[in-house]
Amino acid sequence: MIWRALGYRAAQAGVVAFLVGVLTFLMMQALPGDMAFRIAAGRYGYDMVTADAAAAVRAELGLDRPAWAAFMVWLGDLGRLDLGVSVISGRPVWDEIRHQMGASLHLAGAALLLSALIGPPLGILAGLRAGGWLDRGLLVLSSGLRAVPQFLMGLILIVLVSIQLSWLPAAGHGRAEHIILPALTLALGLAAVSARMARDAMAGVAARPFYAFGRWKGLSEGQMLRRHGLRNIGVAMVTFLSLQFVMLVEGVVVVESIFGWPGIGHALVHAIFGRDVPMVQGTALLLGLGFVALNALTDLLTRLIDPREIRA
Amino acid sequence: MSLSDATLTPPAARGPTPAQWAGGAILLLVLGFAWGAPLLVPADPLRQDLMRGLAGPDAAAPLGYDHLGRSLMARLAAALRLSLSIAGVAVLLAGVLGTGLGVLAAWRGGWVDRALVLLADSVLALPGLLMVLIIGVIISNTPLAFAIGLTLVLWIEFFRLTRATAARLLAAPGVQASRLLGFGPGYVFRRHLWPDLAPMLLTVAAFGAATAIMLIAALGFVSVGIRAPRPELGQMMVELLPYYREAPMALFLPVIAIFLTILALNLLAQGRRP
Amino acid sequence: MTPLLSATDIVVQAAGQMLVHPATLVLHPGRPLTILGETGSGKSLLAQALIGTLPQGLTARGRVTIGDRVLDAADPASFRPLWGRTLGVLPQEPWLSLDPLMPARDQVAEGHALVRGLSRVQARTAAVRDLDGLGLGRAGGLRPDQLSGGMAQRAAFAAARAGGARIIIADEPTKGLDAHRRDEICALLLKGAADGGGLLTITHDLALARALGGDLMVVRQGRVVEQGPTAQVLAAPDSDYTRALIAADPASWPRQAPRPAQGAPVLRAEVLSAARGGRVLFRDLDLSVHLGEVLGITGPSGCGKSTLGDTLLGLAWAEAGRVQRAQGIAPVRFQKLYQDPPSAFPRAVTLGRALDDLVALHRLDGARIAPLLDRMRLSPGLLTRRPDAVSGGELQRLALLRVLLLDPVFLFADEPTSRLDLITQAQVTRLMIDIAHQAGMALLIVSHDAHLIARSCDRVIALDGPLAQAA
Repeated sequence: MIWRALGYRAAQAGVVAFLVGVLTFLMMQALPGDMAFRIAAGRYGYDMVTADAAAAVRAELGLDRPAWAAFMVWLGDLGRLDLGVSVISGRPVWDEIRHQMGASLHLAGAALLLSALIGPPLGILAGLRAGGWLDRGLLVLSSGLRAVPQFLMGLILIVLVSIQLSWLPAAGHGRAEHIILPALTLALGLAAVSARMARDAMAGVAARPFYAFGRWKGLSEGQMLRRHGLRNIGVAMVTFLSLQFVMLVEGVVVVESIFGWPGIGHALVHAIFGRDVPMVQGTALLLGLGFVALNALTDLLTRLIDPREIRA
Repeated sequence: MSLSDATLTPPAARGPTPAQWAGGAILLLVLGFAWGAPLLVPADPLRQDLMRGLAGPDAAAPLGYDHLGRSLMARLAAALRLSLSIAGVAVLLAGVLGTGLGVLAAWRGGWVDRALVLLADSVLALPGLLMVLIIGVIISNTPLAFAIGLTLVLWIEFFRLTRATAARLLAAPGVQASRLLGFGPGYVFRRHLWPDLAPMLLTVAAFGAATAIMLIAALGFVSVGIRAPRPELGQMMVELLPYYREAPMALFLPVIAIFLTILALNLLAQGRRP
Repeated sequence: MTPLLSATDIVVQAAGQMLVHPATLVLHPGRPLTILGETGSGKSLLAQALIGTLPQGLTARGRVTIGDRVLDAADPASFRPLWGRTLGVLPQEPWLSLDPLMPARDQVAEGHALVRGLSRVQARTAAVRDLDGLGLGRAGGLRPDQLSGGMAQRAAFAAARAGGARIIIADEPTKGLDAHRRDEICALLLKGAADGGGLLTITHDLALARALGGDLMVVRQGRVVEQGPTAQVLAAPDSDYTRALIAADPASWPRQAPRPAQGAPVLRAEVLSAARGGRVLFRDLDLSVHLGEVLGITGPSGCGKSTLGDTLLGLAWAEAGRVQRAQGIAPVRFQKLYQDPPSAFPRAVTLGRALDDLVALHRLDGARIAPLLDRMRLSPGLLTRRPDAVSGGELQRLALLRVLLLDPVFLFADEPTSRLDLITQAQVTRLMIDIAHQAGMALLIVSHDAHLIARSCDRVIALDGPLAQAA
């Protein structure tokens, strides 16, 4: 069964790569100017492109032939993970991405940690007493927080903490205090959602017959939570990780741009701005395949927590 | 112990929840402002009057002026109309596409189902923001590109929920009974699927619209969205941020507008829990 | 002999409405006490008031004495310290009441360790001993989904008692079980009571009450109708209600002379075989169904009796063999009644609307509905309600009415009364058979209740799993 799930993830990875290929090819075709010249620039960098290089590319790709033939070559490059060089910086796409990944992972890690400390514990407490004052208070708070998009949260924090109070720098990278505001921005959004998820999962488990039975067996609330609660909400929480990833990626793009954090999201916005197709392709591929890899990890973790063959 | 004295449980409540009423009311207010403001106080959102930069409210601009002396009310209403229209079109297209494919997958099962699920899972792997940005490069008309990009992002949630709900309902005895009684697929959809799907689709649609509006504003905020001078909420905030100390209200207006819109949609999404 | 538990003037109320009228009961060691009643009679509420677990919005009054402690039923929190230590609860459907992710042994051991305070090693030893005693020695390491229903029930029983509880309260322990499994759980419960423990059982199942013996309380509409020693109450009931209840038990239905099949065959199955999950349900079954006959299929749960019915209707695939319908009969004249009546109707429209839809589709005569309602003893007002606002018995009769509009030649009734109360079950079954005779159609009843089948059908097919024989 697990091999079947992993096989499905492999197929998913293939389709993701194909979709990235289609989208970036269409992007390439939509740009104004000579396509061969741009592709040559994408391979060797703008400085190195000569009319000869462009002609060589045109001949190799058969750009005078129909579009689908060029598309097949485009896909072939992608299939070999040959992403070329950034049109703007002239450095290989993989090097650029590797460099930015570090900064992004640093920020995302800090945000995830922070949100994990805030969201799930509050949600579990609220779910155990569904309908209680904490539950209702948290509902209002998380509804309010979820109505604040992440860029707005960043804006609010900048205005409050940096402009009004002058406590922390609004932008920059390198010193420890630089990470606080962007990480907090991301974490608050994530926590608002993860608190809700944990609350619903916990309330659902606490309403199941085995939870009532555990109480009747004489176990205290704390014993119930430790022995029967946490593991049973585990599957829902692990599955939720994938969703967090999506939120995190979108958040990172926006938050990095606002706070000037030199990560992959910041670079993506620049690449779109500069129509740097190889960079866009590399980033899209990385994010898409990262999501698939996370899905596969989630599959494995889920089976570890809940080894039953057929799940309800 | 589940309550075995089943007749004591009242039949399930129907109709909108209080949260949905509140959400609907706020949304109506926002819509009323977006489309009503130009009728009340006609003004061109692009018309500059540098003499009036950051000036306070007057009869021609009841909410004051921005740094280039443009009417904030006219700009705010225009920006809301743009965001709400794009979100509305995208949600409608995504709803029709996702629901249709979801029912198809649940009904046909087999390889049709597997292929559609694989496609949906794969599209899901591409962050929505990225998808919208890429389509934005492919199609030069930005509002149209946003609508198409958002449709490609939003259909998945419609598809996944419709497919799961429809598969459960189609396997229930009620559908088998109706087929035995001679009813066709149209009847099964109308009587068995739609009553359960409709409230769920409203929730997905409201969340989808909220996502769309946030995405449009976020891209405007980082300057890769709707291009100036066309007014857009996120872009207005960036423009007005440098003048925060002189004219804080000017910055708060788009902030409040987007907060209320998203809040209204989130409230609208809170249907009854089974 | 001091009673283990006694309760005086227990009352349950919701929003000023009296759901359980003052009830008094005494539970003695070694002498089972059974509360018998139908759905909605308040029997579960009474038991819940005794252990302090009423659902939100309901309040109880009265005095409960457990051992030497006197508790006020109005203060449910005061009962909690007794849970597991003195009071053990065996919930409905125990396979849902075990933690799905934890091995059975650990779920028993935690009572010994966390409630009784034994060390980890001692608790584990004690749990193994408990499970051994119930014949589950080797199943201790398995999760609930790896246990059979009966094994899960025994594991839950051990878990409920591990904290040292002397009093077991069992809520509908035989819900949805066939006769064999019912006897098993009955023996298990009696075993706990045999060594001086207390047993309070809440049930709708007359056979279980009879088998448990001890004392019996009959409850109806929130009132105790009669109480006394079980044997005496069942042999010579005082109240009309108890008498009606006993008469409604399929085991005491009158036997009827089987009528030989006389009509033309409407359905013929040849060398029919079916399997599910790699297990053969029935093989090489030859069978023909004739107009005007009532055919019964019975057997333990999971034996494939419903699958056989579905296969005859063409709703399930056969592994081999074929089913032939008599020629020239419209397909809609082959119909089915479902086990769970509410799920067989469109949920969101009124019942009248659902019938009108059918009338419009087949251009039927809508005037036929009124006399049929009358024949079924149903109020026309029911048609303005949705399925969730109508009782199961009424709904099943409406489902029968709905198929009758199509003049069926063959009706497959799949456990049509297993979700209904005894008295309603007797009424619906009687009605179904009378109508089948009158209309001259073939009726196929599937039920896990061998008595019901034996006393209502002209011909019986007993499936016992791997092999099937036509009788």
